[in-house]
Amino acid sequence: MNGSYDPLIQAIGVRKSFGDNEVLKGIDLDVRQGEVVVIIGPSGSGKSTFLRCLNLLEVPTGGKILFEGEDITDRKVNIDRHRQKMGMVFQHFNLFPHMNVLKNLTLAPVKLQGRKPEEVREYAMSLLARVGLADRADAYPSQLSGGQKQRIAIVRALCMRPEVMLFDEPTSALDPEMVGEVLNVMRDLANEKMTMIVVTHEMGFAREVANRVVFMDEGVLVEENTPEEFFGSPKNERLRSFLSKVLV
Amino acid sequence: MKEFQESFYLNFIEDDRWEYIVDGLAVTLKVTFFAVIIGILLGFLVGIIRSTYERTGRLKVLNAVCKAYLTVIRGTPVLVQLLIIYFVIFASTNVSKELAAVIAFGVNSGAYVAEICRSGIMSIDIGQLEAGRSLGFSYWQTMWYIILPQALKNVLPALGNEFIVLLKETSVSGYIALGDLTKGGDIIRSRTYDPFLPLIAVAVIYLALVMVFSHFVTLLERRLKQSER
Repeated sequence: MNGSYDPLIQAIGVRKSFGDNEVLKGIDLDVRQGEVVVIIGPSGSGKSTFLRCLNLLEVPTGGKILFEGEDITDRKVNIDRHRQKMGMVFQHFNLFPHMNVLKNLTLAPVKLQGRKPEEVREYAMSLLARVGLADRADAYPSQLSGGQKQRIAIVRALCMRPEVMLFDEPTSALDPEMVGEVLNVMRDLANEKMTMIVVTHEMGFAREVANRVVFMDEGVLVEENTPEEFFGSPKNERLRSFLSKVLV
Repeated sequence: MKEFQESFYLNFIEDDRWEYIVDGLAVTLKVTFFAVIIGILLGFLVGIIRSTYERTGRLKVLNAVCKAYLTVIRGTPVLVQLLIIYFVIFASTNVSKELAAVIAFGVNSGAYVAEICRSGIMSIDIGQLEAGRSLGFSYWQTMWYIILPQALKNVLPALGNEFIVLLKETSVSGYIALGDLTKGGDIIRSRTYDPFLPLIAVAVIYLALVMVFSHFVTLLERRLKQSER
C-alpha cells in the first residue's frame, strides 16, 4: 500500500436523486484502510446506489466523496485515474464475453498502467491459481459457471492492485451451491487486509467477516455497528424488524 | 440455338460491345467499393455519436446534427439525392460523375449504417460499459476495447445486407450518365434493339456478385463466432 490515508474513503452527506425520486438522503460513512464494511438493507433502500456513488458510476447530486483525501466528486478530477485503485465486482459479473479469461484479466493493467504483459500475465495466473481457476485461463466466459465467472471478475479487479474493493451484491445472481466458493474468495481477501465495502444479503458473511455492519433503509444510514452489537443487540426498530425477517 | 448464337454475336461480339459490360462492371465495383468505405466511416461516426448521447447525455449538439442528417437521407429517394448532388451541389465544379456517385451513395449508405451501428451498440448490456469504466477505462477506451468489438459482431449480418443493397442501388447511376454495369447493358440494348441478352447478362452479373459477397459475409461471421463459442 502506498501512503496511508485515514480514512481511505469518506462519504460526506451523499445525496442522489433520479428525477423527483430521492434515493440517497445524505449518507455519511468513513472506511479505514484494511477495514471490511458490509452494507445491508431491504431492496430499494439505496445501498447499491450508494456503493456505485463511491466510484462515481452514479454521480451524486449532493455531498462529497473523499478518496485518499481527494474529493473525487469535483468535476476537475480525473475519475478514471482513481477508479484504477477502486476495484468493483458486480452482481452480474460483467466479464467481457469476446475475450478469454486471461485477456479479461490483463487488458486493463496493460493498457492503463503500462505494466509489461508478461508481468501482468504472471500476476494474473498467480491470482487465478489462488481462486482455484488456473486451468480456465484460456476459457471464454460463456464456458464458465456463475461461481467461476464471479471469481474471475474478482481477480480481474484485483489485477489492477486496487486500494479498495467494492462488491455490489456479488452472490445475488448465483445458484445457491456456488455462493460458498465466491464468499470463500472474499473471506481470503479480507484476511489479507484488503479494504472492502460489500453490499450483500449474506448475513453469515457479514457476521463473520465484517469489521463493521451498516444498515440502510429508505436512503438513510440507520445503524452502524460491530457485527456483535449489530446482530446481538440492534438498537433501531426498523433494523430489528428487518433482522427478524432475514434471520430465520 | 442458331438464333441465340446470332443474338449473342450481335449483342456482345459485334463492335466489341462486351466492353460496355466489362467497363460498366468496373465502374459499378469501383463506385460500390468507395461508397462502402464512406458509408462505414460516416455510419460508425454517426452511430457512435447517437448511442453516446442516448447512453450518457453527452454530445447533444452533434446528436441533433446527426439526427437531421438521418431524417433527410432516409426520407428521400437515393436517386433524387444522386441527382441533387451531381446537378445542384457539384453543378459549378468539375467533379467527375464517378466521384459524385461515390459521394451520393456513400452519404446515403452512411445513414443506414449509422442506425445499424447504433442498434448494435445499444444491444450491448450497460454492465459492459460499467465494468470497463470501473476498471479505469475512459468512455472512449471502453467503446474501443469492449463495446465496439461486440457490437460489430452482432451487426455483421445487417451490415452485409446493407452493402448488398448498396451494390444494387448503384444501378441508378445511369441517371447522371455514368456508365455503370446497368447503363452498359442498356446501351447495348439501345444499339441492337435486342433487349433480352444484354439485360439478362447484367442481371446475372449482379446476382453473382451478391452471392459471392454473401458467401464472404457468412465466412466472416463464422470466424467471429468461433472466438466466443
